[in-house]
Amino acid sequence: MTYKYEDGTMALRDVDLSIERGEKVAIVGPNGAGKSTLLNLVAGFRMPFSGRVLIEGRELNHENADELRSEVGLVFQDPEDQIFMPTVEEDVAFGPRNLGLDDIDARVTRALRSAGIEGLAKRRPHRLSYGMKKRVAIAGILAMEPEMLLLDEPTSGLDPRARLELVKLLREMDKTMLIATHDLEAAAEIVDRAVVLNVSVVMEGTMSDIVMSKKVLQDAGLELPPVSKLFDAMGRMGYPVDSLPVSMDQAVAELTRVIDREAKRTSELRGPGNPRSDRKSRQSDARGNGD
Amino acid sequence: MIITHVRGHSALRERDEDLDTSWFSQLDPRVKIVGVFSFVVVAALLTRPEGVTIALTAAIALAAASRVSAKRLIVAYAAAFPFVALASASIFLFSGWDRGLTMLARTSSCVIPLLVLALGTETFDLFSGLRRLKVPGMITTLLMLTFRFLLLLSDELERMKVSRQARGFRGGRSLLDRYGLRVLSFTAGMVLVRASARADRVYEGLRCKAFRKDMIPWRTSSVRSRDMAFLACLAIVAGVLAAVQYEVLF
Repeated sequence: MTYKYEDGTMALRDVDLSIERGEKVAIVGPNGAGKSTLLNLVAGFRMPFSGRVLIEGRELNHENADELRSEVGLVFQDPEDQIFMPTVEEDVAFGPRNLGLDDIDARVTRALRSAGIEGLAKRRPHRLSYGMKKRVAIAGILAMEPEMLLLDEPTSGLDPRARLELVKLLREMDKTMLIATHDLEAAAEIVDRAVVLNVSVVMEGTMSDIVMSKKVLQDAGLELPPVSKLFDAMGRMGYPVDSLPVSMDQAVAELTRVIDREAKRTSELRGPGNPRSDRKSRQSDARGNGD
Repeated sequence: MIITHVRGHSALRERDEDLDTSWFSQLDPRVKIVGVFSFVVVAALLTRPEGVTIALTAAIALAAASRVSAKRLIVAYAAAFPFVALASASIFLFSGWDRGLTMLARTSSCVIPLLVLALGTETFDLFSGLRRLKVPGMITTLLMLTFRFLLLLSDELERMKVSRQARGFRGGRSLLDRYGLRVLSFTAGMVLVRASARADRVYEGLRCKAFRKDMIPWRTSSVRSRDMAFLACLAIVAGVLAAVQYEVLF
């Protein structure tokens, strides 16, 4: 699909993207790349200039946008824009009540628990921290039990701890997700697949594939996460780095492999006559002989 | 922002300090609306100074008993006073001081209970109460959206004020300060533009939560004995006022 703003600026050009049920996909790209516009198009707040959006095989149009939006929950970048009611539980109940769903209390409880804010039910949202407001906004959408979550810059404006907690929450959530972000590190923790968007789709693949493509990142104005930078520097220093990790878990795994490779290489370089190898082989012989 | 940051993750253990737990705030909003508006109608129809005096006394007694913050009530009344005084002044000029004073007391006996109702009830509870009293959804929804827009305006105004002050702007305190007035006029325009953009996003946020055109009432309180007692008290006062008006009493 293609989308132009009223002033003629091209926001999205020939974007072709499909997401499977249960898949978590990140849209990464610089400011003005069209990430939020893409989410708004999928949520039916805007209609494409050309092309179409299909949700569960049904084409999104002005007539069915409200109906299909209950299948697709959009969480805004700024939770202040999404929270309306005077208390957290009332705000979370707002969507299910509008949809005429039954058992609203149970839905609210489930949504609050999923968002990790059961203790805030009676609180006034405007008095909560920004991170907590984000969770309230997410709970408000989860209570409607949509098939798919659209998250616009979920980690922006959060302090490190709140960010970590939100990433954990989203990673553990069993939902189809489309996340617009330029936080590559957070995206790597959450998603299965990523799309680099810069008006058009520049690249599609795993987060590891994307961070390995430095040219793509550079052209898209994205910066490598610190942990990837570290391994990139190690590679340039001659360490046997095969891939650039993006998350801490990947970094630990890659570091273990690097140490093994390095040990093997060192061992080969020293040859059988070196004292360490001799000691190792002696220990191995001893174990083999049952001594 | 600093406060928000410091509050951080202890939010789960905190409680809102401004939660109003007075008996008046705990009453069913529908009862408060019906009771206060009935009182206001009766008070507005009084013509005898004795009746007006009793109505004003009852209004002040309600304000005192409701435990609504006296400071907030006085500030709100002071804001409404020019309008109250304007009506009384015209009567004072054309019909004499006694009628002017009666007008002032009568208007005050109507305004004070309304202020108590507004200050002693959560705004959203008022709208929900009105909706449950079968006021058309379009009206209550418009009221709620207007209220939300006013909050947005005030939020944006505050941001712009901080932004101006952060860059050393100290003008606009005199009508002769043309530069200051120019900056303030730009600010006013910018506040409206920004509030309008945010209002669009808020509306989209509502639509994300399946909002169509009508705010469905969300609180399901029931009328309890204390609500009935409150209504009974107001009914007795209204009865006394009617008796005074028709010279059954005094």
